[in-house]
Amino acid sequence: MTLSFKRIGAILIKEAHDFKTNINILIMYLIPILLAYIYDNFIPGMPRGFALSFGILFLVVMVGMYVPSMMIAEEKEKKTLEVLLLSPANSVEVFIGKGLLTFISIIVSFIILIAMFGGVDPDQMAVILVGGILTAVFCIQVGIIVGLLSKNQMATGVVGTPVYMALLLVPMLGSMGSPTLEKIAKVFPTYYYNDMLYRALNEFEGNHTLLDMIPELGILLGSIAVAFVLLLLVYRRRGLG
Amino acid sequence: MIEVNSLIKSYGDKRALKGISFQVREGEIFGFLGPNGAGKTTTLRILTGQLKADSGEAKIMDLDVMKGAKELHSHIGVVPEETNLYERLTIGQNLDLFCRLYGCDIKQTDYYLERIGMLKEKNTQVKKLSKGMKQKVLLVRALLHSPKILFLDEPTSGLDPASADTIHRILRELNDQGITILLTSHNMEEVDKLCNRVAFLNQGEIVEMGSPEALKLDHSNRRIKVLIDDGHGLASKELDMDSKESARLLSEWMTEGKVRSVHSCEPTLAEIFVKVTGREFA
Repeated sequence: MTLSFKRIGAILIKEAHDFKTNINILIMYLIPILLAYIYDNFIPGMPRGFALSFGILFLVVMVGMYVPSMMIAEEKEKKTLEVLLLSPANSVEVFIGKGLLTFISIIVSFIILIAMFGGVDPDQMAVILVGGILTAVFCIQVGIIVGLLSKNQMATGVVGTPVYMALLLVPMLGSMGSPTLEKIAKVFPTYYYNDMLYRALNEFEGNHTLLDMIPELGILLGSIAVAFVLLLLVYRRRGLG
Repeated sequence: MIEVNSLIKSYGDKRALKGISFQVREGEIFGFLGPNGAGKTTTLRILTGQLKADSGEAKIMDLDVMKGAKELHSHIGVVPEETNLYERLTIGQNLDLFCRLYGCDIKQTDYYLERIGMLKEKNTQVKKLSKGMKQKVLLVRALLHSPKILFLDEPTSGLDPASADTIHRILRELNDQGITILLTSHNMEEVDKLCNRVAFLNQGEIVEMGSPEALKLDHSNRRIKVLIDDGHGLASKELDMDSKESARLLSEWMTEGKVRSVHSCEPTLAEIFVKVTGREFA
């Protein structure tokens, strides 16, 4: 199988055109920005770092999974994927094109979020950006798996919700002091990104740099590899149809 | 151009294709006729590499469909039954995507849109188009990379007569330019009008194959219908083509100037289908 940058570019351009008019998906990008704004401005005593880290976690994890799963499920539902695969494009190029659009749009929203909070210092930026990139890659792969397992857009709710909840809520609950929940949460890679965000953005945690986060980064990299293998297995078993 | 031998495909316990064989010659319009569930779409999907057959052989331009589907895709254009366009995108954005994927000149889009009279609608969102217009866009999408063979699954299903006529005209023009066409349909008139040869598919088997004219002649009862004016008004008479008495009568009526019209009584393709399969065409 050969990969063509031209074909990936063609799919990326198509996704970008589609993205602009897809209300379902656009709303998902607004939620983390809106939530972070509400937490920061309307909840008394809420530390700024928490509001920002919640917005970033929601953006990277939830949007990262939801958007590719919906894109793939919609193509399956409307049978557009069939005709795409009748062209010289192959399934890997389709995945990369869709994943890339999700990734780029997450980074753009990420910058908007940071700017909304008046920016962060370079050490903090390095931690939340590198961790965010790795977590986004992991979550996009999970989103593609959810899309492959779902027959249509409606089914992504059934297949995806438990996965989204596990990867978004459990790590957050795990960091709230319960040792049992924390033990469970440590199974999920998003726990480690949540932890990185907390340590980097909480003013009481001191100044943490990227070098302090090597174990977490290692876990995130490993999770990407595991998700990739899982994606291959699901694709081989289920295909695109 | 297309060669199929003993193609078998089952879905669970149900055998959709029971070992069909046929050939399509270069430059031909070949029609697959049959009711819903006869196996037409299954055959088309196997030939376009979207579905794997259980056994048998299918070659397009000497390429084994089962082995090299991707290589084949640059030579074929496919118009599916579903209007699977990107509804939120404009016509132009839909077509540009496929131009880029095939690496063909983006100007092809304007050329074909002009040909089907839709260049003005290029920037219209697909969801705002009628079914007939969407069908034309599907046809353009299948033609962008100048395929040698065009596969169409029920190309005029659900279209009004005017839109169906436009599609027929375009298909004839494409065929005149040398494109081989294989289409499926359950519209007998469409197939009769368009196809050089047809195959009747019934419950996964080809039960009859040939040119529409040859099939009609083969199944003709060799009778003619003569409308005569016998002085008291018009009267319809049916005569046997092979009898001397019929020849004598016809000659007599013609000499007396009574004949108003003469029609041979060939069956329609739908009647032949019922005769061959014993089931109604629905």
